[in-house]
Amino acid sequence: MDKKKILEDGLLEQYLLGELDDKTLQMVEIAIAGDSDLRAHFDLLEADFERIAFENAVDPPLSVRQGLETQVSEMNEEKHLRSLSNSRPNTSFWFAASIAALMAFGAAWIYNQWRASEENLKTLETQTAALQERLSKLEENYEETNNRYQQINNPNVVPLVLVGNSKSPSSRATAYVNHQTKEVILNTKGLSALDEEHTYQMWADVAGEMINMGVLSNNRDYVLLRYIEDAESLNITIEPVGGNDHPTVENLISNVVL
Amino acid sequence: MQSKEIHVRLIKRLKEGDKSALLGLYDAYSKALYGVVVRICDREDVAQDVLQESFVKIWQKIHTYDPDKGRFYTWAYRIAKNTALNAIRKRSALIQTDDLSVYNHKTADLPKDYSELNGVLKKLEPHHQRAIELVYFKGLTHREAHEEMEVPLGTFKSYVRQALLQLKEVYPKQLLLLLLFEMMGNG
Repeated sequence: MDKKKILEDGLLEQYLLGELDDKTLQMVEIAIAGDSDLRAHFDLLEADFERIAFENAVDPPLSVRQGLETQVSEMNEEKHLRSLSNSRPNTSFWFAASIAALMAFGAAWIYNQWRASEENLKTLETQTAALQERLSKLEENYEETNNRYQQINNPNVVPLVLVGNSKSPSSRATAYVNHQTKEVILNTKGLSALDEEHTYQMWADVAGEMINMGVLSNNRDYVLLRYIEDAESLNITIEPVGGNDHPTVENLISNVVL
Repeated sequence: MQSKEIHVRLIKRLKEGDKSALLGLYDAYSKALYGVVVRICDREDVAQDVLQESFVKIWQKIHTYDPDKGRFYTWAYRIAKNTALNAIRKRSALIQTDDLSVYNHKTADLPKDYSELNGVLKKLEPHHQRAIELVYFKGLTHREAHEEMEVPLGTFKSYVRQALLQLKEVYPKQLLLLLLFEMMGNG
Protein backbone atom coordinates (compact mmCIF):
# COMPACT_ATOMS: atom_id res chain seq x y z
CA MET A 1 0.00 0.00 0.00
CA ASP A 2 1.19 3.51 -0.88
CA LYS A 3 2.87 5.29 2.05
CA LYS A 4 1.43 8.66 1.06
CA LYS A 5 -2.08 7.25 1.03
CA ILE A 6 -1.56 5.65 4.43
CA LEU A 7 -0.41 8.92 5.93
CA GLU A 8 -3.00 11.16 4.23
CA ASP A 9 -5.96 8.88 4.90
CA GLY A 10 -5.03 8.68 8.57
CA LEU A 11 -4.70 4.89 8.33
CA LEU A 12 -1.90 4.83 10.90
CA GLU A 13 -4.19 6.51 13.46
CA GLN A 14 -7.03 4.17 12.60
CA TYR A 15 -4.67 1.18 12.82
CA LEU A 16 -3.55 2.30 16.26
CA LEU A 17 -7.13 2.79 17.41
CA GLY A 18 -8.12 -0.66 16.09
CA GLU A 19 -10.64 0.67 13.57
CA LEU A 20 -9.41 -1.07 10.42
CA ASP A 21 -10.97 -4.10 8.76
CA ASP A 22 -8.79 -7.22 8.52
CA LYS A 23 -7.75 -6.66 4.92
CA THR A 24 -6.66 -3.02 5.39
CA LEU A 25 -5.06 -3.91 8.72
CA GLN A 26 -2.86 -6.54 7.07
CA MET A 27 -1.84 -4.13 4.32
CA VAL A 28 -0.92 -1.43 6.85
CA GLU A 29 1.05 -3.92 8.96
CA ILE A 30 3.00 -5.05 5.90
CA ALA A 31 3.66 -1.43 4.93
CA ILE A 32 4.89 -0.54 8.42
CA ALA A 33 7.13 -3.60 8.57
CA GLY A 34 8.66 -2.76 5.19
CA ASP A 35 9.13 0.99 5.53
CA SER A 36 11.30 2.43 8.28
CA ASP A 37 9.93 5.94 7.78
CA LEU A 38 6.38 4.69 8.22
CA ARG A 39 7.53 2.66 11.21
CA ALA A 40 9.01 5.83 12.75
CA HIS A 41 5.75 7.68 12.17
CA PHE A 42 3.83 4.93 13.87
CA ASP A 43 6.26 4.76 16.80
CA LEU A 44 5.79 8.47 17.41
CA LEU A 45 2.04 8.13 17.13
CA GLU A 46 2.01 5.33 19.68
CA ALA A 47 4.20 7.33 22.02
CA ASP A 48 1.94 10.39 21.73
CA PHE A 49 -1.25 8.47 22.35
CA GLU A 50 0.29 6.61 25.27
CA ARG A 51 1.46 9.89 26.74
CA ILE A 52 -2.03 11.38 26.37
CA ALA A 53 -3.46 8.32 28.09
CA PHE A 54 -1.07 8.60 31.02
CA GLU A 55 -1.76 12.33 31.29
CA ASN A 56 -5.44 11.51 31.57
CA ALA A 57 -5.05 8.44 33.77
CA VAL A 58 -7.60 7.80 36.50
CA ASP A 59 -6.95 5.69 39.58
CA PRO A 60 -9.24 2.68 39.63
CA PRO A 61 -10.41 1.55 43.08
CA LEU A 62 -8.30 -1.12 44.78
CA SER A 63 -11.25 -3.51 44.61
CA VAL A 64 -10.64 -3.93 40.85
CA ARG A 65 -7.11 -5.20 41.44
CA GLN A 66 -8.33 -7.51 44.20
CA GLY A 67 -11.16 -8.74 41.99
CA LEU A 68 -8.73 -9.42 39.18
CA GLU A 69 -6.41 -11.33 41.49
CA THR A 70 -9.28 -13.47 42.81
CA GLN A 71 -10.69 -14.09 39.34
CA VAL A 72 -7.34 -15.14 37.91
CA SER A 73 -6.70 -17.44 40.89
CA GLU A 74 -10.11 -19.05 40.46
CA MET A 75 -9.60 -19.46 36.74
CA ASN A 76 -6.18 -20.95 37.38
CA GLU A 77 -7.69 -23.38 39.84
CA GLU A 78 -10.47 -24.34 37.43
CA LYS A 79 -7.89 -24.85 34.72
CA HIS A 80 -5.82 -26.96 37.09
CA LEU A 81 -8.85 -28.98 38.13
CA ARG A 82 -9.85 -29.44 34.51
CA SER A 83 -6.40 -30.66 33.61
CA LEU A 84 -6.45 -32.95 36.65
CA SER A 85 -9.86 -34.32 35.80
CA ASN A 86 -8.73 -34.82 32.24
CA SER A 87 -5.50 -36.53 33.15
CA ARG A 88 -6.59 -38.47 36.24
CA PRO A 89 -10.07 -39.94 36.25
CA ASN A 90 -11.76 -39.97 39.70
CA THR A 91 -12.91 -42.92 41.80
CA SER A 92 -16.39 -42.86 40.29
CA PHE A 93 -14.84 -43.15 36.87
CA TRP A 94 -12.79 -46.18 37.89
CA PHE A 95 -15.80 -47.74 39.60
CA ALA A 96 -17.94 -47.21 36.51
CA ALA A 97 -15.12 -48.46 34.30
CA SER A 98 -14.73 -51.59 36.46
CA ILE A 99 -18.45 -52.31 36.32
CA ALA A 100 -18.43 -51.77 32.58
CA ALA A 101 -15.42 -54.07 32.18
CA LEU A 102 -17.06 -56.75 34.35
CA MET A 103 -20.26 -56.46 32.37
CA ALA A 104 -18.35 -56.67 29.12
CA PHE A 105 -16.43 -59.72 30.40
CA GLY A 106 -19.67 -61.31 31.64
CA ALA A 107 -21.41 -60.65 28.37
CA ALA A 108 -18.48 -62.15 26.44
CA TRP A 109 -18.49 -65.24 28.71
CA ILE A 110 -22.25 -65.67 28.34
CA TYR A 111 -21.94 -65.24 24.58
CA ASN A 112 -19.20 -67.88 24.40
CA GLN A 113 -21.26 -70.21 26.55
CA TRP A 114 -24.27 -69.66 24.36
CA ARG A 115 -22.22 -70.30 21.22
CA ALA A 116 -20.76 -73.49 22.74
CA SER A 117 -24.25 -74.61 23.79
CA GLU A 118 -25.57 -73.89 20.36
CA GLU A 119 -22.78 -75.94 18.78
CA ASN A 120 -23.42 -78.77 21.26
CA LEU A 121 -27.10 -78.62 20.45
CA LYS A 122 -26.37 -78.80 16.73
CA THR A 123 -24.07 -81.79 17.30
CA LEU A 124 -26.72 -83.44 19.44
CA GLU A 125 -29.34 -82.78 16.81
CA THR A 126 -27.10 -84.32 14.14
CA GLN A 127 -26.33 -87.30 16.37
CA THR A 128 -30.01 -87.71 17.21
CA ALA A 129 -30.93 -87.65 13.53
CA ALA A 130 -28.23 -90.25 12.81
CA LEU A 131 -29.44 -92.36 15.71
CA GLN A 132 -33.02 -92.08 14.54
CA GLU A 133 -31.94 -93.13 11.07
CA ARG A 134 -30.03 -96.10 12.48
CA LEU A 135 -32.95 -96.97 14.70
CA SER A 136 -35.40 -96.92 11.83
CA LYS A 137 -33.00 -99.08 9.80
CA LEU A 138 -32.65 -101.44 12.73
CA GLU A 139 -36.40 -101.52 13.07
CA GLU A 140 -36.71 -102.29 9.37
CA ASN A 141 -34.05 -104.97 9.65
CA TYR A 142 -35.68 -106.38 12.73
CA GLU A 143 -39.04 -106.44 11.04
CA GLU A 144 -37.55 -108.05 7.97
CA THR A 145 -35.62 -110.57 10.06
CA ASN A 146 -38.65 -111.26 12.16
CA ASN A 147 -40.73 -111.75 9.04
CA ARG A 148 -38.19 -114.16 7.66
CA TYR A 149 -38.02 -115.93 10.99
CA GLN A 150 -41.76 -116.21 11.05
CA GLN A 151 -41.75 -117.39 7.46
CA ILE A 152 -39.07 -119.95 8.10
CA ASN A 153 -40.18 -121.19 11.49
CA ASN A 154 -43.80 -121.41 10.61
CA PRO A 155 -45.13 -124.96 11.30
CA ASN A 156 -46.53 -125.01 7.77
CA VAL A 157 -43.11 -124.43 6.26
CA VAL A 158 -41.21 -127.38 4.79
CA PRO A 159 -37.44 -126.87 4.74
CA LEU A 160 -35.63 -128.58 1.88
CA VAL A 161 -31.87 -128.81 1.38
CA LEU A 162 -30.52 -128.69 -2.14
CA VAL A 163 -27.07 -130.30 -2.36
CA GLY A 164 -24.80 -129.70 -5.33
CA ASN A 165 -24.07 -132.56 -7.72
CA SER A 166 -20.78 -133.36 -9.45
CA LYS A 167 -21.03 -130.12 -11.47
CA SER A 168 -20.98 -128.08 -8.28
CA PRO A 169 -20.24 -130.44 -5.44
CA SER A 170 -19.67 -127.76 -2.81
CA SER A 171 -22.94 -125.91 -3.44
CA ARG A 172 -25.65 -125.94 -0.84
CA ALA A 173 -29.00 -124.15 -0.74
CA THR A 174 -32.01 -124.36 1.57
CA ALA A 175 -35.55 -123.84 0.38
CA TYR A 176 -38.46 -123.07 2.69
CA VAL A 177 -41.79 -123.92 1.12
CA ASN A 178 -45.10 -122.92 2.66
CA HIS A 179 -47.97 -124.59 0.85
CA GLN A 180 -50.52 -122.68 2.89
CA THR A 181 -49.30 -119.18 2.15
CA LYS A 182 -47.85 -120.30 -1.15
CA GLU A 183 -44.44 -118.85 -0.52
CA VAL A 184 -41.00 -120.15 -1.40
CA ILE A 185 -37.89 -118.70 0.23
CA LEU A 186 -34.40 -119.75 -0.69
CA ASN A 187 -31.11 -119.23 1.14
CA THR A 188 -28.41 -119.07 -1.51
CA LYS A 189 -25.47 -118.39 0.78
CA GLY A 190 -24.05 -121.82 0.19
CA LEU A 191 -24.01 -121.71 -3.62
CA SER A 192 -20.59 -121.61 -5.27
CA ALA A 193 -19.62 -118.32 -6.90
CA LEU A 194 -20.12 -118.04 -10.70
CA ASP A 195 -18.38 -115.94 -13.33
CA GLU A 196 -19.90 -112.61 -14.34
CA GLU A 197 -21.63 -114.09 -17.40
CA HIS A 198 -23.67 -116.75 -15.54
CA THR A 199 -26.33 -116.98 -12.87
CA TYR A 200 -28.30 -119.66 -11.00
CA GLN A 201 -31.96 -120.14 -11.89
CA MET A 202 -34.66 -122.18 -10.03
CA TRP A 203 -37.22 -124.34 -11.77
CA ALA A 204 -40.29 -126.30 -10.60
CA ASP A 205 -41.03 -129.63 -12.25
CA VAL A 206 -44.79 -129.92 -12.85
CA ALA A 207 -45.81 -133.05 -14.68
CA GLY A 208 -42.49 -133.21 -16.50
CA GLU A 209 -42.46 -129.53 -17.45
CA MET A 210 -39.87 -127.22 -15.93
CA ILE A 211 -41.48 -123.92 -14.88
CA ASN A 212 -39.37 -120.86 -14.07
CA MET A 213 -39.40 -119.89 -10.39
CA GLY A 214 -36.86 -117.06 -10.69
CA VAL A 215 -33.22 -116.09 -11.09
CA LEU A 216 -31.09 -116.57 -7.99
CA SER A 217 -28.61 -114.08 -6.74
CA ASN A 218 -26.02 -116.12 -4.95
CA ASN A 219 -24.57 -115.29 -1.58
CA ARG A 220 -27.92 -114.11 -0.25
CA ASP A 221 -29.72 -115.61 2.69
CA TYR A 222 -33.17 -114.62 1.60
CA VAL A 223 -34.53 -114.86 -1.94
CA LEU A 224 -38.26 -114.88 -2.42
CA LEU A 225 -39.35 -117.07 -5.34
CA ARG A 226 -42.56 -117.82 -7.21
CA TYR A 227 -44.65 -120.62 -5.70
CA ILE A 228 -45.67 -123.12 -8.37
CA GLU A 229 -48.76 -125.25 -7.74
CA ASP A 230 -48.40 -129.01 -8.01
CA ALA A 231 -44.63 -128.88 -8.26
CA GLU A 232 -43.02 -132.24 -7.87
CA SER A 233 -39.44 -131.15 -7.45
CA LEU A 234 -37.25 -128.04 -7.24
CA ASN A 235 -34.26 -127.70 -9.55
CA ILE A 236 -31.30 -125.32 -9.83
CA THR A 237 -29.48 -124.79 -13.13
CA ILE A 238 -26.67 -122.53 -14.28
CA GLU A 239 -27.92 -120.13 -16.95
CA PRO A 240 -26.61 -117.07 -18.83
CA VAL A 241 -26.93 -113.73 -16.89
CA GLY A 242 -30.52 -112.53 -16.92
CA GLY A 243 -31.96 -116.00 -16.85
CA ASN A 244 -33.35 -118.38 -19.47
CA ASP A 245 -36.80 -119.28 -20.77
CA HIS A 246 -36.00 -122.97 -20.65
CA PRO A 247 -33.64 -124.77 -18.36
CA THR A 248 -30.29 -125.93 -19.62
CA VAL A 249 -30.63 -129.47 -18.30
CA GLU A 250 -26.97 -130.35 -18.71
CA ASN A 251 -26.21 -127.48 -16.31
CA LEU A 252 -28.46 -128.84 -13.54
CA ILE A 253 -26.46 -128.66 -10.32
CA SER A 254 -29.07 -129.68 -7.71
CA ASN A 255 -32.63 -130.86 -7.26
CA VAL A 256 -34.92 -132.00 -4.47
CA VAL A 257 -38.22 -133.84 -4.53
CA LEU A 258 -41.17 -132.23 -2.78
CA MET B 1 14.13 2.97 29.75
CA GLN B 2 14.40 1.08 32.98
CA SER B 3 10.63 0.82 33.41
CA LYS B 4 10.30 -0.19 29.76
CA GLU B 5 12.68 -3.09 30.36
CA ILE B 6 10.73 -4.07 33.45
CA HIS B 7 7.55 -4.10 31.43
CA VAL B 8 9.18 -6.23 28.74
CA ARG B 9 10.20 -8.70 31.41
CA LEU B 10 6.68 -8.67 32.87
CA ILE B 11 5.22 -9.42 29.44
CA LYS B 12 7.70 -12.26 28.96
CA ARG B 13 6.83 -13.72 32.36
CA LEU B 14 3.11 -13.40 31.65
CA LYS B 15 3.58 -15.25 28.38
CA GLU B 16 5.30 -17.97 30.41
CA GLY B 17 2.20 -18.23 32.61
CA ASP B 18 3.37 -16.23 35.63
CA LYS B 19 0.17 -14.83 37.18
CA SER B 20 2.00 -12.28 39.31
CA ALA B 21 3.29 -10.64 36.13
CA LEU B 22 -0.30 -9.74 35.25
CA LEU B 23 -0.62 -7.76 38.48
CA GLY B 24 2.69 -6.06 37.67
CA LEU B 25 1.32 -4.99 34.29
CA TYR B 26 -1.91 -3.97 35.98
CA ASP B 27 -0.01 -1.70 38.30
CA ALA B 28 1.83 -0.19 35.33
CA TYR B 29 -1.06 0.33 32.90
CA SER B 30 -4.39 0.16 34.76
CA LYS B 31 -4.60 3.89 35.47
CA ALA B 32 -4.08 4.88 31.83
CA LEU B 33 -6.54 2.25 30.64
CA TYR B 34 -9.09 3.11 33.32
CA GLY B 35 -8.88 6.74 32.20
CA VAL B 36 -10.02 5.59 28.77
CA VAL B 37 -12.71 3.07 29.77
CA VAL B 38 -14.32 5.26 32.41
CA ARG B 39 -14.78 7.96 29.77
CA ILE B 40 -16.22 5.46 27.26
CA CYS B 41 -18.57 3.82 29.78
CA ASP B 42 -19.62 6.97 31.66
CA ARG B 43 -20.34 4.84 34.72
CA GLU B 44 -17.66 3.93 37.19
CA ASP B 45 -19.15 0.56 38.24
CA VAL B 46 -19.34 -0.53 34.60
CA ALA B 47 -15.87 0.84 33.91
CA GLN B 48 -14.43 -1.11 36.85
CA ASP B 49 -15.90 -4.36 35.55
CA VAL B 50 -14.60 -3.50 32.10
CA LEU B 51 -11.10 -2.85 33.44
CA GLN B 52 -11.04 -6.16 35.29
CA GLU B 53 -12.40 -8.03 32.27
CA SER B 54 -9.84 -6.32 30.04
CA PHE B 55 -6.94 -7.55 32.17
CA VAL B 56 -8.38 -11.07 32.21
CA LYS B 57 -8.43 -10.90 28.41
CA ILE B 58 -4.87 -9.57 28.40
CA TRP B 59 -3.89 -12.60 30.50
CA GLN B 60 -5.72 -15.01 28.21
CA LYS B 61 -4.54 -13.46 24.94
CA ILE B 62 -1.00 -12.45 25.82
CA HIS B 63 0.39 -15.12 23.49
CA THR B 64 -1.07 -13.15 20.55
CA TYR B 65 0.77 -9.96 21.44
CA ASP B 66 3.63 -9.30 19.04
CA PRO B 67 6.03 -6.54 20.23
CA ASP B 68 7.27 -6.09 16.66
CA LYS B 69 3.85 -4.76 15.69
CA GLY B 70 3.59 -2.13 18.37
CA ARG B 71 3.69 -1.16 22.01
CA PHE B 72 2.04 -3.28 24.70
CA TYR B 73 -0.04 -0.31 25.74
CA THR B 74 -1.48 0.11 22.22
CA TRP B 75 -2.42 -3.58 22.18
CA ALA B 76 -3.95 -3.39 25.67
CA TYR B 77 -5.77 -0.16 24.76
CA ARG B 78 -7.52 -1.89 21.82
CA ILE B 79 -8.65 -4.72 24.13
CA ALA B 80 -9.93 -2.32 26.79
CA LYS B 81 -11.71 -0.10 24.25
CA ASN B 82 -13.50 -3.04 22.60
CA THR B 83 -14.46 -4.49 25.99
CA ALA B 84 -15.89 -1.14 27.04
CA LEU B 85 -17.83 -0.70 23.79
CA ASN B 86 -19.28 -4.21 24.13
CA ALA B 87 -20.28 -3.50 27.73
CA ILE B 88 -22.20 -0.34 26.88
CA ARG B 89 -23.85 -2.06 23.89
CA LYS B 90 -25.06 -4.85 26.20
CA ARG B 91 -26.19 -2.29 28.74
CA SER B 92 -28.15 -0.40 26.11
CA ALA B 93 -29.81 -3.61 25.00
CA LEU B 94 -30.74 -4.50 28.58
CA ILE B 95 -32.17 -1.07 29.29
CA GLN B 96 -34.28 -1.49 26.11
CA THR B 97 -34.72 2.16 25.60
CA ASP B 98 -36.23 3.46 22.40
CA ASP B 99 -32.95 5.00 21.54
CA LEU B 100 -30.46 2.17 21.17
CA SER B 101 -27.77 4.39 19.73
CA VAL B 102 -24.70 3.52 21.74
CA TYR B 103 -22.82 6.48 20.52
CA ASN B 104 -25.41 9.06 21.40
CA HIS B 105 -25.36 7.55 24.84
CA LYS B 106 -21.59 7.87 25.00
CA THR B 107 -21.70 11.58 24.46
CA ALA B 108 -23.72 12.06 27.60
CA ASP B 109 -22.06 14.15 30.30
CA LEU B 110 -19.52 12.35 32.46
CA PRO B 111 -18.88 12.93 36.13
CA LYS B 112 -17.02 16.17 36.43
CA ASP B 113 -13.72 14.59 37.37
CA TYR B 114 -13.44 12.65 34.12
CA SER B 115 -15.11 14.97 31.63
CA GLU B 116 -12.17 17.27 31.38
CA LEU B 117 -9.00 16.21 29.64
CA ASN B 118 -5.65 16.94 31.10
CA GLY B 119 -2.10 17.40 29.97
CA VAL B 120 -1.06 18.71 26.61
CA LEU B 121 -4.51 18.09 25.17
CA LYS B 122 -5.65 21.16 27.06
CA LYS B 123 -3.20 23.22 25.05
CA LEU B 124 -4.79 22.19 21.74
CA GLU B 125 -7.44 24.18 19.97
CA PRO B 126 -10.93 23.04 21.05
CA HIS B 127 -11.83 21.30 17.77
CA HIS B 128 -8.49 19.44 17.75
CA GLN B 129 -8.96 18.49 21.38
CA ARG B 130 -12.49 17.29 20.62
CA ALA B 131 -11.34 15.20 17.67
CA ILE B 132 -8.77 13.34 19.81
CA GLU B 133 -11.27 12.99 22.63
CA LEU B 134 -13.89 11.38 20.38
CA VAL B 135 -11.64 8.81 18.73
CA TYR B 136 -9.43 8.07 21.72
CA PHE B 137 -11.48 8.61 24.86
CA LYS B 138 -14.93 7.90 23.50
CA GLY B 139 -14.11 4.97 21.26
CA LEU B 140 -15.81 6.43 18.20
CA THR B 141 -14.56 5.51 14.76
CA HIS B 142 -13.43 8.29 12.42
CA ARG B 143 -16.73 7.94 10.52
CA GLU B 144 -18.81 8.20 13.68
CA ALA B 145 -16.73 11.04 15.07
CA HIS B 146 -16.98 13.26 11.98
CA GLU B 147 -20.78 12.94 12.17
CA GLU B 148 -20.63 13.77 15.85
CA MET B 149 -18.62 16.91 15.08
CA GLU B 150 -20.78 17.61 12.03
CA VAL B 151 -17.80 18.08 9.72
CA PRO B 152 -16.83 16.16 6.57
CA LEU B 153 -14.75 13.01 7.10
CA GLY B 154 -11.73 14.55 5.31
CA THR B 155 -11.91 17.61 7.54
CA PHE B 156 -12.13 15.43 10.62
CA LYS B 157 -9.08 13.41 9.54
CA SER B 158 -7.15 16.63 9.08
CA TYR B 159 -8.22 17.73 12.60
CA VAL B 160 -6.68 14.53 14.00
CA ARG B 161 -3.48 14.94 11.99
CA GLN B 162 -3.14 18.59 12.98
CA ALA B 163 -3.77 17.72 16.62
CA LEU B 164 -1.02 15.10 16.50
CA LEU B 165 1.37 17.52 14.82
CA GLN B 166 0.73 20.04 17.56
CA LEU B 167 1.37 17.35 20.17
CA LYS B 168 4.72 16.61 18.54
CA GLU B 169 5.61 20.26 18.84
CA VAL B 170 4.44 20.60 22.44
CA TYR B 171 6.01 17.44 23.85
CA PRO B 172 9.64 18.22 22.97
CA LYS B 173 9.25 21.68 24.53
CA GLN B 174 7.81 20.12 27.66
CA LEU B 175 10.69 17.66 27.83
CA LEU B 176 13.15 20.53 27.43
CA LEU B 177 11.47 22.44 30.25
CA LEU B 178 11.54 19.37 32.47
CA LEU B 179 15.23 18.90 31.80
CA LEU B 180 15.92 22.58 32.58
CA PHE B 181 13.97 22.31 35.87
CA GLU B 182 15.89 19.18 36.80
CA MET B 183 19.24 20.83 35.99
CA MET B 184 18.30 23.93 37.99
CA GLY B 185 17.17 21.75 40.84
CA ASN B 186 20.41 19.79 40.78
CA GLY B 187 22.39 22.99 40.45
